[in-house]
Amino acid sequence: MTDGTVARLRDPLLQRADFADVFLGPWPSLALRELAERPVYLESDGPVPFGEMFELKGEPNGRIRFIGDLAMADRLGAGMTEGEVVVESNLGNEAGLALAGGTIVIEGDVGPRAGAAPLGFKRGMTGGELIVRGSTGPGAGAAMRRGLLVVGKRAGDQTGIGMIAGTVVVFGAAGTDSGLWSKRGTVVALGRITPPPTYVYACTYQPVHLRLLLTRLAARYGLPVRPRHLKGFYRRYSGDMAELGKGEIMTWAAK
Amino acid sequence: MKIRGVFIEDTFAEAFTMRVARIVITARSTRWVRAAASKLTGFATSVIGCKVEAGVERELPASETPDGRPGTSVLLMTMGKDDLAKRLIERIGQTVLTCPTTACYDGLPDAPDRVGVGSALRFFGDGFQMSKVMAGVRYWRIPVMEGEFLVQEKFGMLKGVGGGNFLILARTADAALEAAEAASDAMAAQPGTILPFPGGVVRSGSKVGSRRIKSMIASTNDAYCPTLRAVTKSALPEGVNSVLEIVVNGVDAPSIATSMRAGVDAACRAGVIAISAGNYGGKLGPHHFHLREIMTGVPS
Repeated sequence: MTDGTVARLRDPLLQRADFADVFLGPWPSLALRELAERPVYLESDGPVPFGEMFELKGEPNGRIRFIGDLAMADRLGAGMTEGEVVVESNLGNEAGLALAGGTIVIEGDVGPRAGAAPLGFKRGMTGGELIVRGSTGPGAGAAMRRGLLVVGKRAGDQTGIGMIAGTVVVFGAAGTDSGLWSKRGTVVALGRITPPPTYVYACTYQPVHLRLLLTRLAARYGLPVRPRHLKGFYRRYSGDMAELGKGEIMTWAAK
Repeated sequence: MKIRGVFIEDTFAEAFTMRVARIVITARSTRWVRAAASKLTGFATSVIGCKVEAGVERELPASETPDGRPGTSVLLMTMGKDDLAKRLIERIGQTVLTCPTTACYDGLPDAPDRVGVGSALRFFGDGFQMSKVMAGVRYWRIPVMEGEFLVQEKFGMLKGVGGGNFLILARTADAALEAAEAASDAMAAQPGTILPFPGGVVRSGSKVGSRRIKSMIASTNDAYCPTLRAVTKSALPEGVNSVLEIVVNGVDAPSIATSMRAGVDAACRAGVIAISAGNYGGKLGPHHFHLREIMTGVPS
């Protein structure tokens, strides 16, 4: 397998840009020319072809790597169903919005609502893996239904709010109201977290599925999983009791 | 043909196509891995009486298991697809789910045939069970008094081979046992195979059917019983006073051939007169393991 496509930003992005259409549908099967024709909507200048903003090189094999500062790029990977997208910089708002499949790896920070449901919709992520090595803004993973969201550093307020199911792993501190109104979702907090008052402490134990998950995250993405995360104990809180109550927040505890 | 003075008969072992699943068990320590594996593979010597044949393939270091804990790999084999699903559910449910700290994973992830195991065992959770999908694979978290039992939803199933065998014909019972122990030790290290009988050794080799009771599927292999030499059509060479059999099952025929080669070689030692093999004239089983061919690598 080759390294895939490299997309290098031609000029600095000085206005917000909406990438929602770039990775819709079966994009891995597109030729590079076809992918280059997909529109990016600039806030001031309107639609421009993806290929005009980025120099595209390499083999289109379902893997694309972005080079250049994309802090103003919004909704990258929205609704994506397959393939692998790697962003070497920070990324804007609503990254991986309603992600359905495939993998998005962001080396930097992202803005609000990564992996969340589009505003006015009930379901956020329904599959795939959204890996943010940096921090996330508020509302990451809101209303997610399936899939995995990993935050390498700090997660903003209301992370995983209204989760229907799925898993959020936060390596750093998690903001207030994380997991609020969750039905069946799992929020794993390796750093500091204050579970909402509608969660109830259940027990402290060693969940094997977290060993499995964290072992895989270390091997697949090189995330900073420490032996203490694998061998340690976790406090399990059940909630949100104001909802179905089948969700959980699992917080790492030394013992 | 002789190996270190032991005559290798010009015959073959006749084996059958079976269905095989590989189960990976992990636990907090080797003690509990072995406890679960021992129960899982208990009473599983022959499909004739146990409905299933099972054994430990090998112990796995923590670095080779999905969750980074000590583990073991077990092969479980039946004659049919449906049987395999039933036996997996029964046995994992009664022996692995019940054992402290264990988790249970599929060891044949690339096998296209899948049988539901966790999908059935989850009902023990009485509605409190949770599922998690990781890398496209669904797992079930079943709450138990100790904590949680984690089991993969589906297990892979392959066509394997059961009934590879050879017979150790020895001058004394001690010599036969020593040779069988050496063979069993040599074969235990072979990947893709199991020795389903106690210690890998069978003292009661059988023939098809019975001389007296029509309903019996199998009865003692009188041709190889030293005590019957004078009263039956014996197959024993002169000087043989004890015979032990090694039975080997595996994921495929080459694995069994490799294992048999190691076993026969180890069994060729002082006190052993000949090595033979059990077959039914070649009419029942599609897999024929010719002893001389296995030992020389040349078709006989």
